[in-house]
Amino acid sequence: MTGQAFFVLTALADGPRHGYGIVGEVAGLSQGRVKLKIGSLYGVLERLAAEGLIEPDREEAHDGRLRRYYRLTRDGRSALAEEAELRAATARVVRARLGLTAPGTAGAAG
Amino acid sequence: MSGNLERRYRRVLRLLPGWYRQRWEEDMVAAFLDSWLTGDPEADEYITKAAGPGWAEVASVASLAVRLQLGGAGAPRRYFAWGQAVRGAVLAVTLVQAVAGVFALVQMAWSRHLFSWLPAPPATMVAAAPGGILPPVVWYLMACAWIVSFVTLVLGRYRAAQAIAALAIAPDLIRLLEGQFTGRWPAPHVGPWAFWVLLDLAPVLAMSAFHRDAPPTARRPWLLALPAGYLLVGVPLLALEASGNTAWLPDFSGLYCFLVCLACLAHVPRVWSGRADGSGVWSLTLTLLAADAGAYRILSIADYLHDPHLINVSLAELLILLVAVALVAPDAVRAQAATPAPPPHPRLG
Repeated sequence: MTGQAFFVLTALADGPRHGYGIVGEVAGLSQGRVKLKIGSLYGVLERLAAEGLIEPDREEAHDGRLRRYYRLTRDGRSALAEEAELRAATARVVRARLGLTAPGTAGAAG
Repeated sequence: MSGNLERRYRRVLRLLPGWYRQRWEEDMVAAFLDSWLTGDPEADEYITKAAGPGWAEVASVASLAVRLQLGGAGAPRRYFAWGQAVRGAVLAVTLVQAVAGVFALVQMAWSRHLFSWLPAPPATMVAAAPGGILPPVVWYLMACAWIVSFVTLVLGRYRAAQAIAALAIAPDLIRLLEGQFTGRWPAPHVGPWAFWVLLDLAPVLAMSAFHRDAPPTARRPWLLALPAGYLLVGVPLLALEASGNTAWLPDFSGLYCFLVCLACLAHVPRVWSGRADGSGVWSLTLTLLAADAGAYRILSIADYLHDPHLINVSLAELLILLVAVALVAPDAVRAQAATPAPPPHPRLG
């Protein structure tokens, strides 16, 4: 899973969001390091929709325009959980190798 | 309120294929306007008049357009056919460059007496090192770079292959600019520029068709094509050069036309057999290669305006190329026409 797809799925983990809402949430989650352009966002959304990881939730009118909200599917939730676990495990290894692991938790780096 | 800004963004979105715009355009426009508009009528009026999609935004749409127009896995058949055809054509042109690279390296080794078992190299070969402001080693590195780029592309390291090829075309550009501005070459000097644009720059840019959705390249046949191409084309050329029988050989443009013709003729039995096993994509690939070779042939004629015989030879090569491509072009058209509907998009509600 690419970094962008991971962030987009994470942005949808706590509820449905519309396109620009996802852009803002991803910027926040990544502490400003990932600034999705609209073309990139919809490239990711199209791929995730094709893979069945997200689906449209609802449409809401806003300033005369329709905002379409997206939500995670069950498969999307599983894929995100799996990816989060993988990344967490990698992070634990990195912390252990850098000697940053708190005393008593070194075994978790396994 | 959002009139001009929205119009400018929709113009950019025209880069995307119709089926994609049908599904996502309104969504993209809404998100784009959300990223600009503040809700303050005065500020928004100014923004919609003055602002437009920035370069980064346009680049993101262009990049998405390349991925969709030159489709990979999951794309509608027409876009997949175009994607595969462009990828095939890029591999073929990069193969030609790689074979030319092997040829240049062998020629260099022979001219420096590195093959002791071969007879002494002909005088023309010894004098063939490219001149100009760049030292000969740059040209040999360039030859190596094309070989490495080809192998890297076949092995699936697409961006590395593109970066290496981009480096490989730089010396040629420097040589062309040097020739242009120092007057070292007589005018009009169109052929070398045509070569650089059509056989150097075009494949480097078109390597963008190798994106994440692109199916993996069949490694074995393409990797074998490099030594086979050298044995079947490079060795006979080298033998002719060594024996001094080069007078009747075509120039590089003519040779390129000849090779594309041969490939078309070799593909014809498959087209006429009527089997629907992907022959259409190959026909489209060959049509693209023929267009590239034909454009190169036409442009390089400008350098032969002083010699009616060479003009006639060039026109004959073009005619033969046209006949050969006419045999596969209808199949190429059929490959695009059979476009089933794209997979359904999840519906609301």
